[in-house]
Amino acid sequence: MAAAALAFGVTLAHAGRSCEPKLPTATNVQRAMTLAERTAASLNASGAQVVVLGRIGQDLSKYGQRYSHLGFAYRDGAVWRVAHKLNHCGRAHAAVYRQGLGEFFLDDLHRFEAGVVVLAPAVQARLLPVLQDNARLARLHTPAYSMVAYPWAETYQQSNQWAIETLAMSQEPAATTRERAQAWLKLQGYEPATLRLTAFTRLGARMTAANVAFDDHPNHKRFSDRIETVTVDSVFVWLQRSGLGAAPHVIH
Amino acid sequence: MTRLIRSMIAAAVLATSLGSAKAHPTLSDASALSLLPVAVSVAAPVMILSAGAALTVVAVEASAAGTVWVLERASDGVQASVTLAGGLSVAAGTAVVVTAFSTGWVLSAAGQAVAFIPNEIGRALLHNERVTR
Repeated sequence: MAAAALAFGVTLAHAGRSCEPKLPTATNVQRAMTLAERTAASLNASGAQVVVLGRIGQDLSKYGQRYSHLGFAYRDGAVWRVAHKLNHCGRAHAAVYRQGLGEFFLDDLHRFEAGVVVLAPAVQARLLPVLQDNARLARLHTPAYSMVAYPWAETYQQSNQWAIETLAMSQEPAATTRERAQAWLKLQGYEPATLRLTAFTRLGARMTAANVAFDDHPNHKRFSDRIETVTVDSVFVWLQRSGLGAAPHVIH
Repeated sequence: MTRLIRSMIAAAVLATSLGSAKAHPTLSDASALSLLPVAVSVAAPVMILSAGAALTVVAVEASAAGTVWVLERASDGVQASVTLAGGLSVAAGTAVVVTAFSTGWVLSAAGQAVAFIPNEIGRALLHNERVTR
C-alpha cells in the first residue's frame, strides 16, 4: 500500500509542500468517470462542436466563485477532448494539455459537477481549428504561472487566462500577442472577478506556495486588498452577456 | 512468468496515474495537474475482473510497456495480468478488490484506488497529451 501511494504521486512529488500526492478513493474514480461519461453524452446531444467546460476542484464559495478551472472541450470524431492549461503540482510553471473528459474530472473534485457554456456557432467555428493545432494552442502560452495572475499583465498566466486569451486569438486575427488578446478581451467587455484578499492572506499564500504571486498586480489595487483575476464564473457571465456563448448549464 | 504474461496480454490500455495537487488552501486550485494516470493495460482473462472479486497482486515486474502486475483471484487461483504505464506499482502480496462500473474497473486496496482499467467506453474518455513543454 505504501508503495502504491508512492507510485501514484511520484511524477509530481518534487513539487514541494503544496503538492501532497494523494490516492483517490475507488468511489471518487467511479464518480469522476461517471461524470465524464454523462458529460460526453450531454455534449453529444447538444450538437455543439466546442464548449467551455468548468469543474469544481475546490470550494471557492467564500470568494463568490463556483468553478475553479476551465478548458475548451471539442469534438474530435466520435470522442471529446479538452484543451486546458495545468499547473504542475504547486510549482511556478504550467503547461498546456489535451486530455480526455476522464482526466479532466479525475482531479480530486470538490463537487462532481460540470458547468458547460455552448459557444455561439461562429465562435466555435473560429476556435475549433485552433484547438486542433498544437502550435496555435501554444502561441499565447506563458509558462510562468500564478494562480491569481493579473488579467491585464503578461508576467504570469493562469489557466483560465490562457483559455480566454487563446479564445481572443482565435476570434481576432490581429490578436497575435498576449497584449493584443487582452485588448480584444477588454473591447468585448470581459471583466475579471475581484477577490478580497487581505495582506495577511496574500503574505501567507506567497510564502507557502510557489504558484502564487502578487507582484504583477497594480499597487493601488493590491494594497486595497482587491485582487483581480480570471475566474471561470467571470468568464461564464461574460460569455453570456456578450453573446459569445449561451447561458451555462450544469451536468451532475 | 514473462512468457505467461506476454501471452496473456490481450489489450493495451493506457495507464495513467492518479495524483492530485492542491495548491494553497485559501486560493483556487485554478488547475492542478491530475496525473491520474490510470489506465492500464489489461491482459487477460478479463472475466476475473468481476465486481467484488478479491484479488492478490502476486507479482510486479517491469516491462518495456510499463509495470506488469499478475493478479490472482482468491477464490480459484485464476490469474490475469495488467500492464500499467508509468511508474505505478504496488508491492507483491497486496490484496485488491475489484469495483465494476459503466466505464471500467477500479482496483483498490483499503478503499484507495491503485489502478483503473477502462473498458471501451472508458478508453474513449481518456487521453493525455502534453502540448507545450
